[in-house]
Amino acid sequence: MSTASEAIARQIADATAKCGITTIASLPDGWITDLITAYAQDNRFRHLAVNREESAIGFCSGAYLGGIGSMALMGASGLLTCIYALTKINYTYQIPILIGITLRGRPGDSAKFHQSNSLYLDSIIQSIDMPFIPIEKAEDIPKIGVAYAHSRTLSRPVVIGFTRELLRGQA
Amino acid sequence: MMRFEDCFRLLHERLKTELIITSAGNTSELWWEISRETERVFYLEASMSLASLFAAGIAYGNPEKTVVAFSGDGAFNMNPGMLFVERQLDLPNLKHFMVSNRCYGSTNELTMPFSHAIDYAGMARAAGLLRVYSIARLEELERQLDDIIKVAGHTFTVLHVEPLGRHAVSPPLDGPEVKFRFGRYLERNGGRPIFDTPLG
Repeated sequence: MSTASEAIARQIADATAKCGITTIASLPDGWITDLITAYAQDNRFRHLAVNREESAIGFCSGAYLGGIGSMALMGASGLLTCIYALTKINYTYQIPILIGITLRGRPGDSAKFHQSNSLYLDSIIQSIDMPFIPIEKAEDIPKIGVAYAHSRTLSRPVVIGFTRELLRGQA
Repeated sequence: MMRFEDCFRLLHERLKTELIITSAGNTSELWWEISRETERVFYLEASMSLASLFAAGIAYGNPEKTVVAFSGDGAFNMNPGMLFVERQLDLPNLKHFMVSNRCYGSTNELTMPFSHAIDYAGMARAAGLLRVYSIARLEELERQLDDIIKVAGHTFTVLHVEPLGRHAVSPPLDGPEVKFRFGRYLERNGGRPIFDTPLG
């Protein structure tokens, strides 16, 4: 973990804790390994490593009914595997959930296997009317709390997207 | 092999105070048919393998309550890794019953061909779960149920049942009604605030 990415991970963890989130369910993406480590080592949180992204959706949705503030954290591709779970569980029953994703596929991401996200991620999120809030600069980090509160007000999922530059501490 | 209805009637007779989470298809339909309950039961009909982890989230937030999750073998086959997450959580108040009827009960009981060859209890033990039960007779369920439910510790129980053999109806409840009835029940009965959490 570099000093810059460590500092950003700490800021994100602070903002997450401040809004009442105490549980993180995650599946790794290369961009968020430092962030996941930060949550796992921070005693303000219970970190749950899940077997697949849908399991995070199921667990966090139940945690809401347990009165627990939580966030599902995953890569952009992981979100795409969750469309069924989100539309069925969270839309059918109107259960709020905050989902943090990486903004894979944006210009600058050299991984060819993530370029489908460049083409379709935004439009898929829009197609199911899921509010999306990008976290692109350090000044955006407080928006995590806004997104969490909005999800609970709306009683539906809200997605926040982290850029690579932010997670590296370069934005 | 148990009759599905006999199995669920026994469970309904004995599980009077637990929170109940049912999954898509027969488990939701039968629990509704037998109980007509709308308060302590969350009919997660749109579950597709996530009922036990949804239940785990509820159990995690309500450690003083016993939470019973029902899933089917069709759902289990979609996401057997649920066992690894359950093992990691190791919630003492989560009781997972996996109902194996070897068919897709909610879709006209179409046969699930690979289910006959799978040892689900063996899979759970191999995943590191410590308290695993495999029950095919009603008398055995009657005898073991207190141990499964009342002794603290996460349990995974395979219930071997015959296909229902008929169409059953879904609970006539919209999703938000299920959420509010269940959530308000929890709030009234010692659970953490759910809907009344101040948003600032």
